[in-house]
Amino acid sequence: MLEISIFTILATFMLGGSIAMITNKQTLLSAFGFLVAMIGLAGMFALLESRFLAIAQIMVSVGAIVVLSMLTILTINAKEENLPLEPNKYKWMIFASLLVLPITALMYKSMASAYASFATMETINVKVVGKLLFSEWVLPFEIVSILLLTAMVGAIVIARKDEIPTEAKKS
Amino acid sequence: MTTAAIIIAVAAFALGALLALLTIPILVWLERRVAGLVQDRLGPNRTNIGGFRLGGVVQSFADVVKLLLKEEYYPSHIKNARWLFMLAPIITFVAALLAFMAIPFADTLVINGESLRISPLPIDFGVFWYMAISSIGVLGVIFGGWLSHNKYSLLGAARAGSMVVSYELPLGLSILAFIITYNTIDFNAMVQWQSGTFFGFLPSWGILVQPLASIILIVALFAETNRNPFTVAEGESEIVAGFMTEYTAMKFAMYFMGEYVAMNTASAVIITMVFGGYQIPWVSTQILLENFSVFALLLMILIPIIVMVLIRWMRKNNTVRPSVSTDGGRNFETKVLTFTLVGMTLFIEAILFYLVFLDENFLANALAVTLFQIVVFVVKLMLFNIFFILIRWTVPRFRYDQVQKIGWYYLLPLALANIILTAIVVIGVSL
Repeated sequence: MLEISIFTILATFMLGGSIAMITNKQTLLSAFGFLVAMIGLAGMFALLESRFLAIAQIMVSVGAIVVLSMLTILTINAKEENLPLEPNKYKWMIFASLLVLPITALMYKSMASAYASFATMETINVKVVGKLLFSEWVLPFEIVSILLLTAMVGAIVIARKDEIPTEAKKS
Repeated sequence: MTTAAIIIAVAAFALGALLALLTIPILVWLERRVAGLVQDRLGPNRTNIGGFRLGGVVQSFADVVKLLLKEEYYPSHIKNARWLFMLAPIITFVAALLAFMAIPFADTLVINGESLRISPLPIDFGVFWYMAISSIGVLGVIFGGWLSHNKYSLLGAARAGSMVVSYELPLGLSILAFIITYNTIDFNAMVQWQSGTFFGFLPSWGILVQPLASIILIVALFAETNRNPFTVAEGESEIVAGFMTEYTAMKFAMYFMGEYVAMNTASAVIITMVFGGYQIPWVSTQILLENFSVFALLLMILIPIIVMVLIRWMRKNNTVRPSVSTDGGRNFETKVLTFTLVGMTLFIEAILFYLVFLDENFLANALAVTLFQIVVFVVKLMLFNIFFILIRWTVPRFRYDQVQKIGWYYLLPLALANIILTAIVVIGVSL
């Protein structure tokens, strides 16, 4: 009973946060919705007794992604009147959710069977995760890190200043 | 859960809440008195309730009343996001408060073969918890700064956000070096590791085992808690008060208290990871329990001496010049405090006497050791808070570009090099 009530609260947080993130026009309020959804997701992991995932979720999603996206919002600082007009917003939203409905059904089917194994799993230890990452899953892990490295190099190339010709002009 | 486990859990939680919340007025008072000390003046020491001044701590309660009675002010352009404007300081405060809850205040207490953690949240991944929860705090700053919607607040929020993002890297990397050394992410196990010695005589505290990582950790924590010399987010000489510009009354007090709780948490983390936590050097919990009678006798000698020095110091401070006609209740305060201190000392002496000579109860001994460790922890915590405050009033603020330069050009490469060095040494030792 307790578990179900906690689940209900967390699910409300996640759904409400996600809906607020999509429907809000003001970008910072969307970021707040995202934050609430992510904390709800971390709570879900904690409810499944996998504390490591819960903490990692907070550390990565809240501590890094939300903060960075909010920094972007701060830098752009879009005013209310500069935001784009979205007259058919809700129609498009319903259309998009209908489009992804098959995938959602598929995910539900696969996850429903995965839950049983989740519930019987022992508490995930950090040491176990580390050992698995560096033994069985070392190749995917390294590939993901190369992907991140590529993204970083790309960002640096885009953000780098071009050679400024003013120096030559002065001399 | 047994009854003992429930009692210990509730007591630890209450202790954690008290240590985090009740230290706020004391820290505010300490900040002013230490500032006075540095600037060669006294600081607040006159406010009293019926003659009781307690060295000026009462001033903090007068402050609370002032902040409660102030006018609540909201900028008119916030409109329907007022709830978020109010929530922003709360996020900062709660994040700092929650991060404190994973700190162990004493070693694990064994009752009937059941080991109980003396920590508000009895978790075995405290380092992760601290890093995850403390990173939420900056969100409140960003929300507040953005919603205030003026350029100073916006600049302050942007500065706070980017500073935290850039200092989270050296912080995480220096903590990683500690994790490699201690081979655990459990705060309590870290403290237990530090109770040993290395080279035969040095206590194996983090500051001696990992000097570089310790310094990086302390500097990064100064930045994470927005304390001087890293107060660029609220640099009043450049951007008024940064993200706090539009905040008044209790909303401002929430940010203000959040800063002190964060400072308290940072001191606790520094103590736990670097300065041996609740341990005194060379003496582990095991040694204390095995030689309990020697330890208790030593305490019985030491406590009266400390209390006597304290009473003398208090009496010296509480005398008024003979030319002043009324003493404003100072004599009465001195008398009451002296009686209280002497009574408490006698009480403690009696308990220790009973434990040493009349009773051979192992559980009572363990409880006494736990209480002693909590006292050691609180003393260390206060010393580190004073260190934070002293730094604030002696070192000038960095410029914003200097802050980023220190973070990216010096701390990050140093922390990375330190990790490689640590890994080589750890593998070399284990071979």
